[in-house]
Amino acid sequence: MTHFNWLLDGSIVGLYLMATMAAGLMVRKYVGKVEHFLVAGREMDVYLGIASLAATEFGIVTCMYTAQNGFEKGFAGATPGILMAIAMAVVGLTGFVLKPLRDSGVMTIPELFEKKFGPRIRWAAGVVIVLGGLLNMGVFLRTGGQFLVLVSGLDVKYLEIMMTALLVGVAVYTILGGMLSVLVTDYMQFIVMSAGLIVVTILILMNVGWESMVSTVELQYGAGGFNPFINPTMGWQYVLFNLMLNTAAVLTWQTIIARVLAAKDTATGRKVYTRTSFFFVCRFLIPGIWGIAALASLGPVVNSLEAMPRYLSTSVPPGLMGLLIAAMLAADMSTDSSYMLTWGSVIYNDIMAPFRKTQWSEKRGLFWNRSIIAFIGIFLLLYGLWYPLKGDLWTYLGVTGTIYLASISVLLIACCYWRRANSWGAGAAILISAVIPITYLVMEQVPATAGLAKSIGPYYSGIATYLLSGAAMIIGSLLKPQSATPLTERTA
Amino acid sequence: MAKHWFWWLMTMACVVWYSTITIYVAIRGGADIKHMLARLDATKAREDREAKEL
Repeated sequence: MTHFNWLLDGSIVGLYLMATMAAGLMVRKYVGKVEHFLVAGREMDVYLGIASLAATEFGIVTCMYTAQNGFEKGFAGATPGILMAIAMAVVGLTGFVLKPLRDSGVMTIPELFEKKFGPRIRWAAGVVIVLGGLLNMGVFLRTGGQFLVLVSGLDVKYLEIMMTALLVGVAVYTILGGMLSVLVTDYMQFIVMSAGLIVVTILILMNVGWESMVSTVELQYGAGGFNPFINPTMGWQYVLFNLMLNTAAVLTWQTIIARVLAAKDTATGRKVYTRTSFFFVCRFLIPGIWGIAALASLGPVVNSLEAMPRYLSTSVPPGLMGLLIAAMLAADMSTDSSYMLTWGSVIYNDIMAPFRKTQWSEKRGLFWNRSIIAFIGIFLLLYGLWYPLKGDLWTYLGVTGTIYLASISVLLIACCYWRRANSWGAGAAILISAVIPITYLVMEQVPATAGLAKSIGPYYSGIATYLLSGAAMIIGSLLKPQSATPLTERTA
Repeated sequence: MAKHWFWWLMTMACVVWYSTITIYVAIRGGADIKHMLARLDATKAREDREAKEL
């Protein structure tokens, strides 16, 4: 029986939703240009950037998977968060890629590619980013809904209606206020989300106790529950793959990069990265602790994804339950709004670029940006919520993420730092980084090759994608005759 | 605690750092929003004035 109290907890959630909607709608009057809509007029400062980045990169889906990592791998499950924090701190401190990207004054990553690789690569990169991003995001709504119905004890038949209403609310303020609404609501959502995460974590540490959690992990996973290198489900290949994946995400994941591009200058963008870096440890370890507490309290269960919300539904008292659900709604809404805006910005700025032969008026640009976000909202409803996804969700997220991250990170590093890089190399890198993960996925499904796919494993396949994508860039670029490289490519 | 000091330190660091940064960002972020909207207002007023002069 859940501890959710409709009067007390429902009021807290209702109040949070009304305040967010009001704040999101209030700033719409400041949107007069496409630049305001997509990058908030490049007026974002450090602390607003930290709040926005942290709120965007923590959704319910993140909480579910990181808690599942804690449940299935113990403390070692937080390894990807530590790797991401290191990558983010290094990139922020050195300005690697961030500096040339922000200094170029572009609104999206593919826009920068056009300067080096030409319009076709810009368009292809835009398609890869949007496909990878939208397919990745397609599963957010249902996973978020699963958490909410389990914790609140709501009948599962209301999941679709509840998440549809939530998405419509988020879409309304994002369509009207663009990045300005996203930043202001992200700020509020960061505070609510953080308050909920901290209070529930302290409550769990007090109730379950540190020693009890440690002894549970020792009993279930031995030393592997604390050390990823000796965990039989992880190993060095898991650590290396996650290092590559998280470094690529830090450099190229458009929703993260959008904060750098909206920053008022390059130094601000770098500070946002450096000062938010430790949040990525919290992002994995805090829900990981929730997952370990669920393991200590419930013991091993069949559905490890649902263990954490089931545990919370009976261990968090009324009143705090309202704060927890408001925090999770805040996490989900900030992620949804940012993701819709960001993928929309790539569709408008890069995929639609060939159709804008002449300069569009600001009014027309805003109309199209808003329409694209509305279409993305409809796609999410049809694909992610009303269409039941089949198969393994983790593999799905990994494949869609790697297709995007491997190619775009290679292109971006080469674009910024390798003079000889050209469109042949860029095209080859995009092709290779799509072919390897898709081939692996197909091999997994075909009975004749399923055994081979299993022996290779997702981590070796992922590492190969990053390495071969880099090799494709080098070989392709060297193969293209210098005379065939346009002057703009050579001098960019 | 002594045996798994790394994870204990990490967990404590998360709780302490996250609590501190939340309060700090709540205060400074609010000021950032105020200044951002003021700058956007000023830019709009300047552009309107320039448009009228043209």
